[in-house]
Amino acid sequence: MSGKDPYKNRVELLQGTLDMLILQTLQWGPQHGYGIVQALRLRSGDVLQVETGSLYPALHRLERQGWVQSEWKQSESRQKARYYRITAKGKKQLASDLGRWERIVEAIGSVMYVKPEESES
Amino acid sequence: MRGFPSFGFQRRKREFEEEIDAHLQMAIADRVARGETAESARQAAEREFGNVPLVQDVTRDMWGQGWLEQLGRDLRYAFRQLRKSPGFTITAIAMLAVAICANSTVFSWIDGTMLRPIPGARDTGALVSLQRGVRNLSPTPPFSYLDYRDLREQNHTLDGILAYHHDWITLTGGAQPERVYIANVSANYFDVLGIQPMLGRFFLPEEESHPAIPSVVLGYSLWKTRYAADPAIVGKAIEIARHPVTVIGVAPEGVTGAMPGLREDLWVTLDPLGTEVRRMTNRGAVWLNVIGRLRSGVSRGQAAQDLDTVMRHLVAAYPDEHLGDNQITLDPMWCSPFGANGYVASTLPILLAFAAVVLLLTCANVATLALVRFVSRRRELAIRQSLGANRMQLVRQMVMEGVVLSIVAGAVALVLTSWTSKTFEWFFPANSNPLILNGSMDHKVVIGIAVFSLLAGLLCGALPAWRSSHAPAAEVLKAESASVSGGSRNRKLLSALVVAQIALSLPLLLCSALFLRTLRNLAVANPGFEQDHVLTASVGTNIVGYSPDEERLIRHKILDRVSALPGAKVASFTDWVPMTLSHKGVDAWPEGYVPRPHESLEVYHCDVGPRYFESLHIPIVEGREFTLDDDEKAPRVLIVDQTAARRYWPGQDPLGKKLRVYGSLYTVVGVARNSTHIFVNESREPMVYMSFFQGGYETIVQVETEGNPADLAPVVENTIHAIDQRLPVFDVRPLRESTQVASSLAAIQSALAGIFALIGLVLAVTGIYGVVAYRTQMRTHEIGIRMALGASRGNVLRLVLSQGLWLTGIGLALGLAFALGLTRIIVRLLYGIGAHDPVTVASVVVLLGAMSLVACYFPAQRAMRRNPVSAIREL
Repeated sequence: MSGKDPYKNRVELLQGTLDMLILQTLQWGPQHGYGIVQALRLRSGDVLQVETGSLYPALHRLERQGWVQSEWKQSESRQKARYYRITAKGKKQLASDLGRWERIVEAIGSVMYVKPEESES
Repeated sequence: MRGFPSFGFQRRKREFEEEIDAHLQMAIADRVARGETAESARQAAEREFGNVPLVQDVTRDMWGQGWLEQLGRDLRYAFRQLRKSPGFTITAIAMLAVAICANSTVFSWIDGTMLRPIPGARDTGALVSLQRGVRNLSPTPPFSYLDYRDLREQNHTLDGILAYHHDWITLTGGAQPERVYIANVSANYFDVLGIQPMLGRFFLPEEESHPAIPSVVLGYSLWKTRYAADPAIVGKAIEIARHPVTVIGVAPEGVTGAMPGLREDLWVTLDPLGTEVRRMTNRGAVWLNVIGRLRSGVSRGQAAQDLDTVMRHLVAAYPDEHLGDNQITLDPMWCSPFGANGYVASTLPILLAFAAVVLLLTCANVATLALVRFVSRRRELAIRQSLGANRMQLVRQMVMEGVVLSIVAGAVALVLTSWTSKTFEWFFPANSNPLILNGSMDHKVVIGIAVFSLLAGLLCGALPAWRSSHAPAAEVLKAESASVSGGSRNRKLLSALVVAQIALSLPLLLCSALFLRTLRNLAVANPGFEQDHVLTASVGTNIVGYSPDEERLIRHKILDRVSALPGAKVASFTDWVPMTLSHKGVDAWPEGYVPRPHESLEVYHCDVGPRYFESLHIPIVEGREFTLDDDEKAPRVLIVDQTAARRYWPGQDPLGKKLRVYGSLYTVVGVARNSTHIFVNESREPMVYMSFFQGGYETIVQVETEGNPADLAPVVENTIHAIDQRLPVFDVRPLRESTQVASSLAAIQSALAGIFALIGLVLAVTGIYGVVAYRTQMRTHEIGIRMALGASRGNVLRLVLSQGLWLTGIGLALGLAFALGLTRIIVRLLYGIGAHDPVTVASVVVLLGAMSLVACYFPAQRAMRRNPVSAIREL
């Protein structure tokens, strides 16, 4: 069993981040898969290019966990598409994800930006 | 075997395809809006999206957490693994299919006989057959009509109670006379059985005895074959033994009457012509079989007590008609002594137990093979474990392989059983009863096969899987070659499986050997009469409607002409053939004999003509045989056998003593040597022979022949037909052939036990061969070193052999203990041999031991011949 845990943690870290990004995107209104990709790219200034091979598994998993709901609707360009909407449960999850993310960023930041003299004392 | 077909899965798959399509369409639309051409936009969008099947696959994994999808994946994995080793797969499936088929075949026979005792009847579980007196496996009909009616009217525990009596009769009036099995039944017969007519109606209460118009109900197959399925048959008259009778109804398809294993073709009421006065009014005339339907909530014991009370009152009121034991016993139809189930129930469950042992044995064998396979897959399993598969998952997947094997084997067995279930009737040689014994293939058998295969799958999958999943991954990956033989734990399990196979096959071998000896003993046993040069032929003088004078004349003509045939030594008459599962009973009161309390005075009897004993080579030890002069005008005479003489007149001269039968006095004129009546291993019952010309009802011509009796059969048949073309002649066959039916159960037992034992032997021997060969191969390296260090070939041979012989020894010891315990359940089925017969036990042990030795010798010899240098190199 000892070989299993590091592997699992790595996956969870990545998943958690993508989940948070998706949930955050849906905060601004229901969106379809293509829309989410576009939104993330725009908001991140073309830095975050989400792979479909990660996005769709994540969306379907979030739906199974009850954090998002989906329904088929016509888009503005009259294309029928599956729209995902964040649920109350999803909003709670987003808040907790965000809290964790901030703590991690803070922790990593305090490691990375530590002043040399402080670390020596 | 892609995708586990489930509705939800397919729908989600389709929906996801649409989702991806929408994604692509929107991407293309955006690019076109930005000024790209449609074609280049499409290509770019697809490139950007990536590998569609891959995305589908990883996304589907997200849904795949339902148990159904998981099962589907395990199943696919199992199929892949099994396809990789076709040798193992085919061997295992073949072995399991044979073992499952053995079980389902016996079960289908049980299903067709014991579980469906009365085809077409409603809730046969509530039906019970009534027996009066000592319980006995081949009872005669136990009740008189008046007793039956009193039981019917005075009981408080039965919803209904029916009575019937059946016999052969001839349908006349058509182009061809046809011999059929007719039943005289109480008017409520079909009501109690819970059967509705297919056409017309069944009998009314007032028609039970001597109705104004005699009426008949036709069986479905008779209506179909003889009356061309005439839809307007109801109301038409047909002719039975030259009497016109009106058809009032037709029974539905499959209904064959109330006696398990026998086929009734048509039904009339108890006394349709008003000619059976004695049978309808005399309590001494015992001729009815009786079946009751328990009231709901009433147990069999309560009903028996209730009926017994009624019977006790009848015995007190009419003591002369109720000698002997009159206790009422009730039997459920699945083991009712009336009909075939009494015999079947004593044999088939035991054979099913044997088949179960074969299945266990096969599972042990397949488990051995699976274990060896898992051992060689240790690396693969270890890698998967270190990649995060947990132990439960691994076990589940390995068990799934066993389950897949057994399900495929079950399917094969299903196909095989649909044929083997019909082979039951092969065991019953032609005989004079309308037997309809056969296996049936219905939902119960299919469920049975499913249960057998799942059990087998779990047994041969779970054990090795659990064992193999134990291996600590790191060690396996590290110590690759040094411990490749699979660790001591697997070795122990392998050894245990081999021991189990030998221990299970020994009882099978022992039982089959005992059955075979029994069959042989039965075949060579002397029944006390000549079987080999005798031909019998039934002539329907009583069923075509002759007057008594016509019948007497015809009988004499037959006797004269058949006697004169070249090749015929002696011709005689009888109304019964010994050892054909039938007998006739009658109450006989010996004068001057004081019966013990509750002693039954019922004796076997038959009517035989002059020279009967001569033709069968039964010696008359005192007095004389019947002659032609012992006819209706002469004083009534009879011949008793030694059992009757010793019981009724011990130490006295039986000649001249008198017996009262049917209300008349008969004088004993001879004593015949004892001979077999029904079974070779029966307990002796008194037999009373009466003179054929003083009362014979059925006519059976019995001819002692010079040569092969079968050669004379057509001549005898033609001779009788030449006397009167209308005379039905049937059941013409050598006596040896007729008496074979008496040992048909022994034949079934030894045939099946023999097949099972053979399977067991092959499995045990291949099992031990496989394990010893495998382990020797794994030790090639070690053996090479030993030889290089100076071990002789003899040493190597001993090393390998001793290993196999140890296992064999333990297996034989355990098996012997098991076998000696198990033979106790077959004691009652044996004849002329003890259940622990030392010679049989010893020869079986030696046979199994010798076969195991041979199985161990081959791998040992191979190991001995190896070149040590190449053996060391080989890892």
